[in-house]
Amino acid sequence: MPIRQTKVFKFFSSIKLAIWLLSFIAIFSVIGTLIPQNKESCEYISRYGQSLYDIFAKTGVLNIYSAWWFVSLLALLCLNLAVCLFNRFSLKLRLLGTLLSHLSILVILAGSLIGMFYGEKGYSRINEGETINSFISKNKKIALDFSLRLDDFIYEEHIDPQEKLLVYPDVQQPPSEPKGTCEMEQDTCDTQQPGAAEREKPLAEIPVAVGSQSEIADTGFRVKILRYVPDFAMDVSTKQVTSRSAEPKNPALEVELKSKDGDIKTFWIFAAYPDIHKQIEKNFRFKYQWAWRRPKDFISKVTVIKGGEELLKKDVRVNSPLRFGGYSFFQSSYDKEHLSWSGLQIVKDPGVIVVYFGFFLLILGLIIIFYINPLIKRR
Amino acid sequence: MLSIYLNIAFAAYFTAMIFYFMELFFKPKLLSNIARVFLVCGILSLSVYMGLRWQIAGRPPLSNMFESLVVFAWAIAIVFIFIDIKYKIKSIAAPVALMSLITLGSASLLDKEIVSLLPALKSNWLTIHVLTCFIGYAALTVAFVSSLIFLIQKNKNQKLDEISYKMIAFGFLFLTLGIITGAVWANSAWGTYWSWDPKESWSLITWFVYAIYLHVRFTRGWKGKRAAWVSVLGFLAMLFTYFGVNYLLSGLHSYG
Repeated sequence: MPIRQTKVFKFFSSIKLAIWLLSFIAIFSVIGTLIPQNKESCEYISRYGQSLYDIFAKTGVLNIYSAWWFVSLLALLCLNLAVCLFNRFSLKLRLLGTLLSHLSILVILAGSLIGMFYGEKGYSRINEGETINSFISKNKKIALDFSLRLDDFIYEEHIDPQEKLLVYPDVQQPPSEPKGTCEMEQDTCDTQQPGAAEREKPLAEIPVAVGSQSEIADTGFRVKILRYVPDFAMDVSTKQVTSRSAEPKNPALEVELKSKDGDIKTFWIFAAYPDIHKQIEKNFRFKYQWAWRRPKDFISKVTVIKGGEELLKKDVRVNSPLRFGGYSFFQSSYDKEHLSWSGLQIVKDPGVIVVYFGFFLLILGLIIIFYINPLIKRR
Repeated sequence: MLSIYLNIAFAAYFTAMIFYFMELFFKPKLLSNIARVFLVCGILSLSVYMGLRWQIAGRPPLSNMFESLVVFAWAIAIVFIFIDIKYKIKSIAAPVALMSLITLGSASLLDKEIVSLLPALKSNWLTIHVLTCFIGYAALTVAFVSSLIFLIQKNKNQKLDEISYKMIAFGFLFLTLGIITGAVWANSAWGTYWSWDPKESWSLITWFVYAIYLHVRFTRGWKGKRAAWVSVLGFLAMLFTYFGVNYLLSGLHSYG
C-alpha cells in the first residue's frame, strides 16, 4: 500500500487534526495566562492552597509552555503541517501562497529550536567598576573572548512641569507647632496652615532643575537650586547629606538664598515637611511642590576590552543594546534602592535570522493568498 | 484646547451614526452620503488631533490606553468608509459607527494628559507596531459587526458573509504583522522575541481563532452562520487581548 493511503498518513494530513490542535493549543495558552507562570511555590500555595498547588505542579500548568504535553501538541502541529505540505502541495503558482505561509510556520519553529539548542542566554549583574568576561547560560559557564566593564549606571528621570519651588512672603503667624509633630504627621502639618500657601500668589515660581535660579520678585533676593535628593539622609557626625536611594521617599532641595547685600544662606527644603526650613530662613516661606517623576532612561556606560585594549565604549539602553563578538547585551534591570549596579541580559541566538526569514515568508504567503491569487483568478 | 478636535470628532461620529440609522428607515440616498461626509469629518478631526498631539509631545501619540483608543476609533472609521463605499450595505453602517463612537467615548473617560515615554517605548518600532495592530483590530471589528448582523438577520444577506471574510483576511494579515513587529521589537529591546507574556499569548490565541476561521472556510466550506460564530469568538479573543490582558492580567505589556 502506498504511504499516502495508510490510515496513519491520512490522520496526520487532515485539516480536522489541525483545527483540533489549534483549538487545544489556544485553550492551554489561555490557562497559561490565567495562572501566573514560573512563580515561587509559596506564592502559589498562598493563592490556591496546598492541594490545588500539588495538582498544578504535577500537571505542569505552572510552567505550561514548557510542559511536555504542550510541547508535544506543538510538535504534533508541526508534523501535521509537514505531512500536509508533503501531501497536498505541488509547485503550482496557485498554491504558492499556501505553501509559503505554511512552510513559514515550520521555518519559525525551526529557528526557535536552533536558538534553544545553539543559543546562549544569560543574565549578569555587574557592579559599577566591575569587569566581566563570562556569564552563566543554561547552568553552564560561557567564557567570552573579551571583557566588559561597567563604568557607570545612570538612572534619568523626567521632571514633571508641575514640580516647582514656590516662594511666598512670610505671613506673621503665631509660632507653629514644634517641628517634632510635623515629622510624625505630615498630613496635619499641611492643614495647619489653612490653605494660606495655596490662596496667596507666590513671589517666585522656579521650575525644579539643579542650577536654575530666580529673583524673588523685587525684594532683591536671589534663590538658586543647588541640589536634589530623592531620599534625604544626613550623616549625624559629618553633616554630609546623601540620598538613601533613588526612591522619592523624602525628596528635598538644597537652595541658596542670596540677599541684596550678598549674604548667602544655604538650607534644605523638604516636600513632605514644609516648615522645617523656617528655623533658618525667616524672610520667606518656601514650598517645594513635588510631582511624581517618570523614568526617562536607564543607561549602562560600558567599555569593551580585548587583549588589554579598550576597543569600544557604548551606552547600553533599553532599545539600544551593545552588539559585540556575536553577543548582544541588553539593559535588563537595576535597583532603585542602590543605583550602583546594572543587570544585563546577554544573548547569542543564531536562530533569530531563521525566525525572521520565517516571518517574511509568512507575510509574503498571506499577501499572495489574499491579494495576488484573487487577481490571477479574475483574469 | 486640543480636546476640541476630539469633541468635533465625537460629534461628527455621532451625527454620522444618526444619519446611518435614518438611512435604515428612509429611502433617499442623500442620507448615506451625508453620513459618509460626517464620518470623513470625524476621521480628519481625529487626524488633526493626533497630529497636534504628536507635535506637542514630540513623539507618536501611541503610548497608552487613551491614545490607542483614539487610534482605534480612527482606524475603525477609515477601514469602514472603504467597505461602505464599495458594498453600500445599510445594515452594518450604523452599528459600526456606534462601535467607533463607543471607542472614542471610552477614550474620553481616560486621562488625556500627555506624559513622557517610558524607556521601553522609545523606539521606531512603536509607530509601526501600534498602527499594524490597530488597523488589524479595526478590520476585525468591522468583520465582527458584519457577522453579528448576519447572525441576527432573518433574511440572510450573503454580502455580509463576504464582508466578514474580506475583513478577516485583511485583519488577519495585519494581526500577523502586529505580532511579528512586536516580536522583532521585543527582540531588539530585551533580546527575546517570544516569552509567552500574557499579551503575546493572547495575541497568538486570537491569531489561532482566525486561523481556524480561514481553514474551516477554505477547506471545509464553512460559510454563513457557522463561520460567523467563529468570527464572533475571534473578536472576543481580540477584545481580551486588547483590554483584558491590561486590566485583568499582569505582564510586560502594561502600557495599552
